[in-house]
Amino acid sequence: MADPLNISVSALLSYQRALSTASHNIANVNTAGYSRQRVDLGTQLPNYSGAGYLGNGVQVDGIRRVYNEFLSTQVRDLTATQREAEVLQQSASRIDNLLADPNAGLMPLAGQFFASLQDLANDPSSTAARQVVLDKSESLASRFRAFATYFDGLAAGVNSGLATAVEQVNALARQIGDLNQNIQTLSGAAGAPNDLLDQRDELIRQLSEYVAVSVVDQDNGDRNVFIGAGQPLVVGARVQQLTMLRDPYDPVRQRVGFVSGAVPVDITGQLTGGEIGGLLAFRDQVLDPAYNRLGQVAQGIAATMNAQHRLGMDLNGNIGGDLFTVAAPQALPRSSNTGDAVVGAAISDVSALTASDYRLDRRGTDYVLTRLSDGVAVDLDAAGFPGGAVTVDGLRISLASGSIDDGDSFLLQPTRGASASLRVAIADTNAIAAASPIRTSSAQANSGSGTISAGTVDGPPPVGPDLTATVTITFNDPPTSFNVAGAGTGDPANVPYVSGQTISYNGWTVQLSGRPGIGDTFAVGANIGGAGDNRNALALGALQTAGTLDRGQSTYADAYGNLVAAVAVRTERAQATSQAQGVLLNQATAARDNVSGVNLDEEAANLLRYQQAYQAAARVIEVANGLFDSILNAVRR
Amino acid sequence: MRISTGQQQAQTVQAMLDQQSRLARTQQQIASGQRILVPSDDPTGAKQLLDLGAVVARVEQYQRNAGVAEARLGAEENALRSTTNLLQRVRELAVQANNDTLSGPDRKAIAIEVRERLTELLGVANSPDANGEYLFGGYRATTRPFSVAADGTVTYAGDQGQRQVQIGADRRIVTGDSGDAVFQAVRNGNGTFVVDQGANAGTAVADAGTVLDPSAWVPDQYSIEFVTNSAGALAYQIIGAAGGQVVPALPAVAPAAAPAYTSGAAINFQGVQLTITGTPAAGDTFSLGPSRNQDIFATLKAFATALETSATEPVARAVQHNSINRALVDLDQALQHITVVEAGIGGRLNAIDSQRNSNDDERLRTQALLSEVGDLDYAQAITQLNQQQVALSAAQQAYVRVQGLSLFDYLG
Repeated sequence: MADPLNISVSALLSYQRALSTASHNIANVNTAGYSRQRVDLGTQLPNYSGAGYLGNGVQVDGIRRVYNEFLSTQVRDLTATQREAEVLQQSASRIDNLLADPNAGLMPLAGQFFASLQDLANDPSSTAARQVVLDKSESLASRFRAFATYFDGLAAGVNSGLATAVEQVNALARQIGDLNQNIQTLSGAAGAPNDLLDQRDELIRQLSEYVAVSVVDQDNGDRNVFIGAGQPLVVGARVQQLTMLRDPYDPVRQRVGFVSGAVPVDITGQLTGGEIGGLLAFRDQVLDPAYNRLGQVAQGIAATMNAQHRLGMDLNGNIGGDLFTVAAPQALPRSSNTGDAVVGAAISDVSALTASDYRLDRRGTDYVLTRLSDGVAVDLDAAGFPGGAVTVDGLRISLASGSIDDGDSFLLQPTRGASASLRVAIADTNAIAAASPIRTSSAQANSGSGTISAGTVDGPPPVGPDLTATVTITFNDPPTSFNVAGAGTGDPANVPYVSGQTISYNGWTVQLSGRPGIGDTFAVGANIGGAGDNRNALALGALQTAGTLDRGQSTYADAYGNLVAAVAVRTERAQATSQAQGVLLNQATAARDNVSGVNLDEEAANLLRYQQAYQAAARVIEVANGLFDSILNAVRR
Repeated sequence: MRISTGQQQAQTVQAMLDQQSRLARTQQQIASGQRILVPSDDPTGAKQLLDLGAVVARVEQYQRNAGVAEARLGAEENALRSTTNLLQRVRELAVQANNDTLSGPDRKAIAIEVRERLTELLGVANSPDANGEYLFGGYRATTRPFSVAADGTVTYAGDQGQRQVQIGADRRIVTGDSGDAVFQAVRNGNGTFVVDQGANAGTAVADAGTVLDPSAWVPDQYSIEFVTNSAGALAYQIIGAAGGQVVPALPAVAPAAAPAYTSGAAINFQGVQLTITGTPAAGDTFSLGPSRNQDIFATLKAFATALETSATEPVARAVQHNSINRALVDLDQALQHITVVEAGIGGRLNAIDSQRNSNDDERLRTQALLSEVGDLDYAQAITQLNQQQVALSAAQQAYVRVQGLSLFDYLG
């Protein structure tokens, strides 16, 4: 049967297919995930003749895609890491841009606030200076609140970003499952449907833009997709879904759950890579620490300014009240707690406060408090909890009511809510306590050279009831000792005198120095009418440069600066990672495309090649036809 | 190596995008003059910028505070200068009034001027500063510090508080003195002791006395009494209220052994010296005790009262003489006291001045650092901008060239 006609027909058919494939390649030059296809040509089975085997033409052995599993896996993995870094960097830079902005940042306003206190100290009886202090403190507090609103917005953005990503993951997983089904149905002896394989690979690659996946192939051609710590998202045609879960402690916070059985399992902690990984990393590593750190500064300003303000005296002659109000630390019970306990948390020492959150767990008879920033655990029951209050890191933890059951858990957020709740507590300019409630005097009739200092009021507030009681210090004969008289002092007599010594009664401290004479008297009493006194304003202003936070290591500005630096470092690192991963991804994509991608010039050459072969085969038919004609002509004669 | 058409396209486009974003960044840097656009550009530098910016703002505030302190001290200095001029004028009047050739009405005329000056001094002591606060009220800056009672005594309603102003990170300066310290805490007499006359019948006049040996001075209330000694001469004895008899020195018996009195001869005891002139009557006394605080208003008032007393006969003249002498030494003390307070203000103004200089230095230094950390190196940035422009246009040209190449162009 090895006649030229049949042979050329086999060639025509084969090259038609080859030309179609080349056209298909050209048509899909811009199709994402498309792998170029190649036609494998082979000879047909030869016929035996007496002279040996006679060739029987060409046939298409198969159409296969040019594909490298390793390169595709690399692209997929790098897509997940690059996307994670990119999302983290984009989200973090939204805080980064804000924090140090000369107009939107906190530092300029804090500077203005303290400047207004100094101006008040320069002119303590001025209503205008007092109004400026109120205005500047309001600006500062409202900037804290604006930051909190912004951070809340970012947190909501994370929630909605996660929700969108979860939806996308679910949709992609369904499509992958469908494709697994189709591919299984359509695959046969002729091989698998190349285009569907490409589609499935592309969908898995798209999936890795949202979350890192691992892929396991099955013998029947299925590709199974796993996420997190091996949760099977797609197994063959069976698809499982992700869902959004509420945080067990904080209901406004969303987490990612894996639906398997009746109750979704929280797999948030196991998810990495892609948009989900990026958003989670942003929330855990940038947003939460920044929010807490900002809250720590807010708590610090409120606590220390209030403490000083309450040692002062306002223009009406009253002891100062709070300058700022701020929310107390929160203790959030886990939603699954079986006990009815309400845990109380209060700040006892703001300088010892950290920016971390804490978790309180009851395990059997143990009550364990874990600092979440570094995982350091403290045994609370050893310190008397829950029978009594325990103070850890400046945080006083007590059982306010109810009882804690075994296995119950609480999330303690000492600083989170502070910036959102920072408000100025006073509206009356006269209520600013610029003066000190006490003043000292030496008697006109004193004969010696002894002096008494202006005196300071000792913290912490509240001040004692006898603070402003008149206390008289009278020197004895000889003037090497003195008697103290006045309410609250216990009237001690013959207190030995050393020049430069300080004495403290009723919550104040004064210094006596010089050489008092016999019978010389000094008095400490209420600072009545002290409108021109600026001592407390000076003390408030001095807090700007005092080490008030981080166990005396940081000023407010330092703490805020550390926040800026921490966010900046994280952003910078995310940016570097994103760039590096981008380069790697580009290289991996190039490597994959160099194998699988369509090159139009190559296809053009192929077109020419196949066209020539096709034309030649047609020519062979013509020759065969000529041969046949020759026979016919010979017979006709 | 084969390359896919799509990849080739994507790569050249990506190259252009990269160049564009680099160019945009450099442009932004040049437009703002800042090297660090967001903290993540240079986290350490960004934190430094925050810190240094805060330092500059703080130093500027200190400079403003220093200005306020200078203004307040300047106002006080003015008031004190007026006080000095006023006291000097009153002292001249006292010297004039001590002249025996003056008649009673002349002295009364002087008294009228002294009363005027007293009122003027009250005005100075009650003067407000630029913000309307009383300069000399202590903390009670809104309460009028000095007021005159019906009997002419001046009372102080302020306190002894002294306001401070922050003029450096660790530097506070006192910006005022209380009225108490300026006008009331003035030692009378010669500053160590004061001589008062008793209800004398003679014409003895005592001077203010001097301290010869401060270490020998024993503060006590001494009474100098004129007696007749065993020789029948007019003599004096000195007895301390606490220390007992001083002159004649024990165990000599007074008044028998009392030293004879000579007009104008110095009387020495316990390291001090006193000169009494004139003719005392037996039983006349002078008391000599440690100096006490006496306010300047009381000094002026006592002087005026002394002048207003009519003194025609010698005993009354002697009393007036003694009173005017007292007024003179008290005025000298007041003048000296005001000078000391003024010197203190001068010292504070000097301290402010030097703090201002060091603040200026710190500001300059900090601003230099700020500029070093945060400012853009324009030469470098513009070079970079040019390079990036060249790179971008090269990328664009390469894209166009490469995209124009296709085998299909030759198929026909």
